[in-house]
Amino acid sequence: MFRVESQRGVRPGITDTLVTNENTGMAPTTPGTNPLLRIEHVTKRFPEVVANNDISIDVMPGEVLCLLGENGAGKTTLADMLYGVIRPDEGHIYFRGQHLDVKSPKEAIHAGIGMVHQHFELVTPMSALENIVIGTKEATWLELDETRIKLEGLCDQYGISIDLDVQVGRLSVGEQQWIEILKALYTGVDLLILDEPTAVLTPQGVDRLFAFLRELKQSGVGIVLITHKLHEVMEISDRVAVLRHGVLVDTVNTTETTSRELARLMVGRDVVLTVEKEPAQPGKPVLELDSVAAEGRALRGAVIDVSLELRKGEILGLAGVSGNGQSALFDTLVGVNPPTNGTISLDGVDITAMRPKDIAAQGLSGVPSDRIRQGLMMDSQIQENLILGKHRSSEFSNLGFLDKKATHDFADEAIEQFEITASSPRQITRVLSGGNLQKVILARELLGGSPKVLVVHQPTRGLDIGASEYVRRRLVAERDRGAAVLLISEDLDELFNVSDRIAVIYEGEIIGTVDPETTAREDVGMLMAGISQSADAAGDDEP
Amino acid sequence: MTNPTPPPSPPDLTDLPNTSLGDPGSSWRIEKRLHVGWKSEVLTLVGATLVAFALSGILIVAAGINVWDAFKALFQGAAGSRRSILETLVQATPLILTGLAAAVAFRARIWNIGGEGQFFAGAMGTWWVANQFGDALTPVIVLPMMVIAAAIAGAAWASIAGFLRAYFGTNEIIVTVMLNFVILFILSWLLGGPWRSPDTYYFQTIKMPEATWLPRFLADSRLHWGFALALLAAVGVYILLWKTSLGFEIRGLGTNEIAARFKGIDVARTIIVVMAISGALAGLAGLTQVGGIHYRLQLDISTGYGFAGIIIALVGRLHPAGVVIAAIGFGALINGATFMQISTGTPSALVEVIQGLVLILVLVGSVVVRYRVRRVGGDD
Repeated sequence: MFRVESQRGVRPGITDTLVTNENTGMAPTTPGTNPLLRIEHVTKRFPEVVANNDISIDVMPGEVLCLLGENGAGKTTLADMLYGVIRPDEGHIYFRGQHLDVKSPKEAIHAGIGMVHQHFELVTPMSALENIVIGTKEATWLELDETRIKLEGLCDQYGISIDLDVQVGRLSVGEQQWIEILKALYTGVDLLILDEPTAVLTPQGVDRLFAFLRELKQSGVGIVLITHKLHEVMEISDRVAVLRHGVLVDTVNTTETTSRELARLMVGRDVVLTVEKEPAQPGKPVLELDSVAAEGRALRGAVIDVSLELRKGEILGLAGVSGNGQSALFDTLVGVNPPTNGTISLDGVDITAMRPKDIAAQGLSGVPSDRIRQGLMMDSQIQENLILGKHRSSEFSNLGFLDKKATHDFADEAIEQFEITASSPRQITRVLSGGNLQKVILARELLGGSPKVLVVHQPTRGLDIGASEYVRRRLVAERDRGAAVLLISEDLDELFNVSDRIAVIYEGEIIGTVDPETTAREDVGMLMAGISQSADAAGDDEP
Repeated sequence: MTNPTPPPSPPDLTDLPNTSLGDPGSSWRIEKRLHVGWKSEVLTLVGATLVAFALSGILIVAAGINVWDAFKALFQGAAGSRRSILETLVQATPLILTGLAAAVAFRARIWNIGGEGQFFAGAMGTWWVANQFGDALTPVIVLPMMVIAAAIAGAAWASIAGFLRAYFGTNEIIVTVMLNFVILFILSWLLGGPWRSPDTYYFQTIKMPEATWLPRFLADSRLHWGFALALLAAVGVYILLWKTSLGFEIRGLGTNEIAARFKGIDVARTIIVVMAISGALAGLAGLTQVGGIHYRLQLDISTGYGFAGIIIALVGRLHPAGVVIAAIGFGALINGATFMQISTGTPSALVEVIQGLVLILVLVGSVVVRYRVRRVGGDD
């Protein structure tokens, strides 16, 4: 079994007694072996929702189990209970044959359970080595050299290439994830939980991760992979546990199922996995960026030199791994981050130095990636969010006073047209689900406005399949209406499905523009990783 | 389903800490609420006040004074007679205005701690206008001029902090607190020299012309038009916050500054406007005390009204109606305390203890009411 020489000594509460349980029917893949992890009838309730309802799952040693489900299905809740972040209300968890009752992640790590969260827990101004040391050591002295030797051994063993001394803030998100994985390996794991690890990776990065996971499971480590991407499930997992609305719908062997079947289990109905659309009828250019540069929000992520042309009636996808300037570019386009160089013109009007509200008045609408932080006032009413930005227009205000009736009528229409699940326009926005929050933003940006340019950043991140489908259909509908749509996304499936052209941004520059019809996903992946190819792919941008 | 049958009991686990994992029968559970209605808010306020009194009672007992006598005196002084009720409203007048001042700013998440300084700015503006024009012009003109002067002076003083925050990102808490000291020193200097009344040794100005005193409602009470002004201001703040586009922006700024900026709200401008409105309200509190009570400037025309306004705004849940109620409550306490001290010898400083306790308990209560206890079944 894989283990760095134990940091822990004796594990509290877990003795290595041999489990003599004959009932292994829960894990048919490896009959005769005792499960590494057994989750029995676990229930977790939150106010208003049962996040996990009577869940029973086994994980065998050396097995990759995928937890598949839409957002809000309860995947992360279940993982958080294994990792001691929260505790179950009912039911029991057994780990290596012993009852597991961890009250904190520290205890879980001690017991041999590691987890890589969606949001990393790294101190960005420190080096990778320092992060791993402070995250794991309890000794007075840090023993950096000793740790370094062990870490280098681990990197060799698993083919991980990470510079241990570089400031974490300067690493890409994918590299940061490797540090989290390394941290888990360093403390020694029998069970590794990864929460949506591929969301921040290029296709090549995903391949590397999966190769590593295959290696890791050879050494008997059990792996729980949380995801909602079906092709990844099919590729890496041995078994799949499908959750829906907190209930375990089914546990199936991967070899005995299909993507379509899994999608049906996950959503509860047959789903359209791709959006139908007609070929684009691009018109004249409406949004032109010429050598635009702008500051980023953090150490990374500045826009260095971006020139783009967005035409009426087309969807231009902007692909790229997170942190390559997409956020800064979005902020610049909507006007909250004025460019330091270059010009931006919208339908012939120079909007380079305009303020957000003037840019909006010129006909550019933006849907930010962080709905909750950048898009909405969560503690305000839905109707207030729907008129935000238009609250001074003659449509909703009169001599400085808000027109309550116009607001209410507009909100009623938005709720109906955009299928927002809300009991009243006066409801507090916070109660809405992620998909409905996004619909509120879309309604605000689209209804009654008919923008010339629609810039959307990660429009389906965190949304379930149904809501994603809705958002993508809306984007295509806007295109067909004659809007120019800039779709900034990290989801290649989405980009290939929706875009008419795909530009790739890498370290703040456009590294290539391709036609999704004639380009392989892997080629875009290469571009996303900064590997610029010969002109044959990049030259395809003129349809 | 390959996972259908309930798994058999796990191997040899004699000491299951299953009580911590939920009782098989049923148990009580604490949950977070999504909504807190106004009824809960009122209950919190009433409950906090009662508990604050109970805790204060312990202090009174510790001081060796009969609790019932003390509280009876407190109540009599606060609301035991027509006269004391009117006097409570007199006390509440500046508190309503400084409370509104803090509430408007806090709604935008601008932390104006300078109500005290803006109060003095307003008082100085009032006195100066009254003194300059009181003899020459008719009160019908001078009184509105005094109101405008007080509002402008308070707004101007607050705008210093607003401007620095909006354009240089300077922390408005530090600036407003410092400006409180600055204006007191300016006033000290004025009272020691240029503005000092020639016929006294005290640090005070001469009285304003009698025609400029805020008219009283009744012959036998000090209750003056300032109280009506305060109530009017409360209505005005309500309309501003919930009926106007500007109020929408103020609340938007307080709810999510980033989203406000993304949607084109001019954050810098809104910060300056909010600070000015807040300062104007605090300045009006200065008007009510100089124009309605003291008629002259002294260093002790405020007993910390600006700071009390912060407490009142928080106890009143940043709502104008809540502010009026809290201000009247605090006015009653101040008023009753004087009578309590005279008749039972209980130190009136105890009232400040009660005020502090009410604030702490309301803040604690406002967190507690967000949760509820619910009975949950074990097996379902």
